Amino acid sequence: MKLLIVEDDKEGAAYLRKALSEAGHTVDHAPDGRTGLLLAAGESYDVIVLDRMLPQMDGLAILRTIRASGVKTPVLLLTALGGIDDRVEGLEAGGDDYLVKPFAIAELMARVNALARRPPPQEVQTTLQVADLKLDRLQRTVTRGGARIELQPREFQLLEYLMRHAGRVVTRTMLLESVWDYHFDPKTNIVETHVSRLRSKVDRGHAVELIQTVRGAGYRLREGP
Amino acid sequence: MFRSASLRLAAIYTAAFALAVVVMGAVTLVTTRATLKQQFDDRINAEASALAQEFRTEGLTGVLQAVRERERTPGALDYGLVDAKGAPLAGELAGSKSPLGWSNLASPEQNGHTIRVLTTQLPDGDRLVVGDDDARDDALERSVLAGFAWAFAGVVVLGLLGGYALSYDVRRRLDAMTGAADAISLGDFTRRIPVRGSDDDLDRLALTFNRMLDRITTLMDSLRQVSSDVAHDLRTPLTRLRQRLEASQASETSAERTAAITAALGEVDAILETFAALLRIAQIESGARRAAFRPVDLTALARSVAADFAPSAEDAGQTLRLDADDDLVVEGDGELLTQMLVNLVENALRHAGPSAAVRIIAARRGAGAALTVADDGPGVPEVERERVFDRFYRLERSRSTPGSGLGLALVAAVARLHGAVVTLRDARPGLEAEVRFERRVSATLGFPNVPESSPSAAMT
Repeated sequence: MKLLIVEDDKEGAAYLRKALSEAGHTVDHAPDGRTGLLLAAGESYDVIVLDRMLPQMDGLAILRTIRASGVKTPVLLLTALGGIDDRVEGLEAGGDDYLVKPFAIAELMARVNALARRPPPQEVQTTLQVADLKLDRLQRTVTRGGARIELQPREFQLLEYLMRHAGRVVTRTMLLESVWDYHFDPKTNIVETHVSRLRSKVDRGHAVELIQTVRGAGYRLREGP
Repeated sequence: MFRSASLRLAAIYTAAFALAVVVMGAVTLVTTRATLKQQFDDRINAEASALAQEFRTEGLTGVLQAVRERERTPGALDYGLVDAKGAPLAGELAGSKSPLGWSNLASPEQNGHTIRVLTTQLPDGDRLVVGDDDARDDALERSVLAGFAWAFAGVVVLGLLGGYALSYDVRRRLDAMTGAADAISLGDFTRRIPVRGSDDDLDRLALTFNRMLDRITTLMDSLRQVSSDVAHDLRTPLTRLRQRLEASQASETSAERTAAITAALGEVDAILETFAALLRIAQIESGARRAAFRPVDLTALARSVAADFAPSAEDAGQTLRLDADDDLVVEGDGELLTQMLVNLVENALRHAGPSAAVRIIAARRGAGAALTVADDGPGVPEVERERVFDRFYRLERSRSTPGSGLGLALVAAVARLHGAVVTLRDARPGLEAEVRFERRVSATLGFPNVPESSPSAAMT
């Protein structure tokens, strides 16, 4: 994937660049807002990682500018501001995801991956299918190999999210934010518990385990057989 | 001098009184002048009538005699008698050619005064002129004016002196307030504004200021306390972090090193979490979130939290049950209220022991609503029930369990933001934490701030 990192902290940017390059991505780095704006508008990227606080130009101003000029590239905002309003402000300015510093590099990678292959928003899929697992959003039914699986509402949401991101790692925080709408970190292992219950319903009695745990990162729904 | 508000007030009053004196003087002068003129004219008129009467009884000789006699009397009026052809017969004014009726003439004494005369015709065609010098009235007016000028000066002087004297007391009290405020702004937070005990407006102001100062001092003390708590509370994890890093430095095998670094990362995460919690509490306490308040369905919120935490509780051998009334909608911030309830539930699950039974109760309370989390654990001793809401405060027995000591502080902050009251009660056995909201809002408008597919989640 081709990524753009707009970040003024040299050390942080170098670390990100190294980690993302090692993961096989092509990474451009803009150390300030103006360069970032030029690159974002001129080149074609899969994901833009944009720091919110930059010298010369505010990150949100850059975001609004590139959105206004029709660039639809997914943008992951990085920020040291963890306030609730800051997050809402960032998303309203056209950001696709929001990550508060400091973060684990695995978290950033998972989010970049999740953004890159996000289906275009206008395409409303009513059914999702991964291997022999089928989810119907309208009927709110799930089947595996034709057999009906009964899920609790939260388990249904969880599976839907995993299926939308099939083949990619989703972190615990991503699940908390998207499935639970929790923008804080509960001490209880509710994600683990729900994933484990979902797994026992989805994978029990099947040769292929679809819901995989990725050590130190999160979970992944296996795409192929 | 005019930088004193009380003196300025006195000066303004004095000026107002002085103006009143001037207006009064002017009115008096005008009415006096009118009255005097009337009296003057009446006197001349009466004299002319008397002389005409004299003519009717005694004839022209009588009049001539009367005029001559009167002119000899000092302070008398001026007279003139002229025959029908205009020849003077008697009196000072006999030479004047005044027309019939009222008119003004130059004084025959050549002193520049004007005399006002009434000319009448006697029955035989002779003309009788009676008049008097106007100057006498001017003198009276001058004395009226002088009187008012003295009164004016008196009002100004007395007003200013009195004002100064009266404002002196007020000024002294204000100076005392200024002095106290200056001392406080220079850092002496023990100073208070003197209160006299008279319960007047200045005393009430002083009391209000002192209350405000008490509040500020409390806040500053708690800020100082928080800062030192933060420093102190971070020292422990930072020490552990240092030890882990030292261990990784000294480790012989890469497995040991990895383990030490993983442990160090865990410590860093715990520290960051403490910071995040502190920042969140600070943000909540700033009150800015109140602008984003919307109707929040507490029933749906409690259902969703119960459904989310019941499986984990079950896995740990605990139970989490829900008992919720319908349509409990309050004005609030759904995200914060969710976190508040989650904190209370987690607190109960964590401290109530391995086989605890925890209940979430969402109930109507008059016009309001209450969210209660009750457990059957060891509870909190009564003396500590208020303090557990302080930042970093932890019960002695829970020091060994993980936790930042910020969970209930956040609960308290969220409740305060919503104007709700948190109470900890003995549930015999166990602890009952109740958050009581004063007012419900119309249920038809209420949508919970939770994912749309989660309400009415079946309980496990």
